[in-house]
Amino acid sequence: MSARITNTMLSRTVLRDLNNADFRLSNTQRKLSSGKQLTRPSDDPFAVGRAMRLRSDLEGIRQYKRNVDDGSGWATATEAALSRITDVLQRARELLVAGGNDSNGPVAREAIATEIEELTESVKQEANATYGGRYVFSGTATETAPYAIGGADTYAGNAGTVARAIGAGVSVPINVDVHALLGDGQGAADNKLLDTMRDIAENLRGGTPADAEALRNTDLSRLDSNLDELTRVRAVVGSTSNRLQTAGRRLDELEESSLDLLSKTEDVDMAEALVNYSTQKSAYESALHSGADIVQMSLLDFLR
Amino acid sequence: MAVSTFGGLQTALRGLLAQQRSLDVTSHNVANASTPGFSRQEAVLSASAALKIPAGAVQSGAGAQLGTGVDVLAYRRLRDQFLDVQYRGQAMRLGGLAAQVRGMETVEVAFSEPGENGIANQLQEFWSGWESLANAPENPAARQALVEKARGLTTSIAALDSQLATAGEEAAAEYASIAGAGGEVGQIAGEIAKLNETIRSSLSSGAAPNDLYDRRDLLLDQLSEMAQVTVTDPGDGTVEVGFGDAAAPLVEGTTVTWPQTLTEPGGKLGALLKLSEPGGTVASYRAALDSFAKELADSVNAIHTSGGGPPFFSYVAGAAASTLTVAVGAAEVETSAEAPVGGNDIALAIGALRGSAAEQMYSSLVSRVGTDMSEARRGEENAQSLVLAVQERRESTSGVSLDEEMTNMVRFQRAYQASARAMTSFDEALDVLINRTGRVGL
Repeated sequence: MSARITNTMLSRTVLRDLNNADFRLSNTQRKLSSGKQLTRPSDDPFAVGRAMRLRSDLEGIRQYKRNVDDGSGWATATEAALSRITDVLQRARELLVAGGNDSNGPVAREAIATEIEELTESVKQEANATYGGRYVFSGTATETAPYAIGGADTYAGNAGTVARAIGAGVSVPINVDVHALLGDGQGAADNKLLDTMRDIAENLRGGTPADAEALRNTDLSRLDSNLDELTRVRAVVGSTSNRLQTAGRRLDELEESSLDLLSKTEDVDMAEALVNYSTQKSAYESALHSGADIVQMSLLDFLR
Repeated sequence: MAVSTFGGLQTALRGLLAQQRSLDVTSHNVANASTPGFSRQEAVLSASAALKIPAGAVQSGAGAQLGTGVDVLAYRRLRDQFLDVQYRGQAMRLGGLAAQVRGMETVEVAFSEPGENGIANQLQEFWSGWESLANAPENPAARQALVEKARGLTTSIAALDSQLATAGEEAAAEYASIAGAGGEVGQIAGEIAKLNETIRSSLSSGAAPNDLYDRRDLLLDQLSEMAQVTVTDPGDGTVEVGFGDAAAPLVEGTTVTWPQTLTEPGGKLGALLKLSEPGGTVASYRAALDSFAKELADSVNAIHTSGGGPPFFSYVAGAAASTLTVAVGAAEVETSAEAPVGGNDIALAIGALRGSAAEQMYSSLVSRVGTDMSEARRGEENAQSLVLAVQERRESTSGVSLDEEMTNMVRFQRAYQASARAMTSFDEALDVLINRTGRVGL
């Protein structure tokens, strides 16, 4: 004899199956409408842990990208200023060569000296270049102009390093030490650019044979070595700029692959979810159908 | 001949009465088809004592026994006590796991992970705040933004801690309302004790109180969801109920001993205790949250104070999560160990804490909550299906099947009709004997 099946058992089974079908449907529905596979830690604790790590990575990458953008802007401003200083220096060298020529009289030399002094001021002007309101050549004293226009030639910044984080544990110094290039002017007699320029102007005005000799030899070689130093500094800035660009491209790729991974971890596979949805829906409908039939059926309908 | 002329009438009457009783029982079953805890009953019929006819009753000269119809021997309820024991064991497991799942749901929702509002996300914004500040250390707006983000983070941590504390308190309150004086356990125990008394007295008068048994079994089922229940039968119709790990029996005869102290009762009460007790589930989550908050504050402070500045976070030791606050204003945020405004070494170093120990502690806490929750939920589903299986088997024995009752009803009705017909034919036979016999030619 098989087991007795009572009416309560039947209706309980129907109810339970309907509940289960309903529960599965609502789960799939939640996934479909939110587009997320994971809405709670218990949905898949391991995947949730991984998604949290990926999110952390992703937020880090985005921040590094912002840092790279900021650093690139800084490097561009630096590069532009140094390029203009180079132009100024080229002009100064031309003037120096012309001024060293004995055929120029004192008046012509005075004019050249005046122009050299103006060029000196514009070098200082360029050294005061800013990026986003910050002086790029002041070390970490970014709110202090490195050189006073029309004032003394002493450097007002410091030797601090301004760096940007471009990866976990990787930071790149983005400022260059302009003090090593321009120096503190004549007072310091440090043979740096400002000192050289001031000396050139002085020698032009001096007019003695010693001055003329200096113009032709020492001043020219000092200016040339200053130009070499400037080229070296520009190379440093260029390589920083390159490094930032490479890092930016790498971060773009990383962001894309992390996004892809994150999406695979926590986003719903729509095709799969939709197929599940229609399967579950038809299961639910047939459960409703058969349930409605079975629960109503009874011997009472047939007894007379 | 000792056989009475009217013996056949008596036999037919017995048949009528027995079928009527059976119909009564069927009707009782149908009426209770959907009563919870009801066990179907049946009238046990048996042929009544035969009439002895002395020697010479049959052709061989031997005596005989003449049937006298039917009697109701007993009214029996169909129930398998073994299934009751099984059911109560599974119901206890299910009660415990269901309570655990409900408590854990509050905890899980409090975390609101993964999502935009979770602490993980705010932590990311906090690190980004430091790195943005490193990009523009001179900018007061960046400082202010960082301080606001940090305040948001500390508020969220404190809010999570207090939500966890509330989850623990709710579990404790539910335990108190169920197990306390006047709670559900006490009420059920009181009712069982009363039923014990009624059942004992009906048994002593010889009647089997089937429906009272059902009622008591139902109460024991309900009790078994709360904690481990052991039922012993002293033999006088009462039951002795042991409850969880309580020292004295909950019900003994007509005496109730409640409230008592429970330490590991199992069932719903056990789960509530485990959630709320010191060192329990919720307390361990709070401890983990505390160590996360402490690690966060310590690691940030260590770097922030390295330049001689004030600590960034402050907290009370031992309650780090609930007391974590930002100790500095926007102007006091240190970005560099050196004086100049453009330095950013400290800000960079703090920003590099992204993905460090504190963050890992938090994400492992979230994973732990998720694992505990999904384990409890799986266990609950499992226990649910086991309870259903036992319930099915019990229902298969004790449940009322309307089809069966209908069939029985037809059977008893027909038997009743047949008995009545037998009585009619006797009546007609007697009519011939009494009214017509000997009246020849009239």
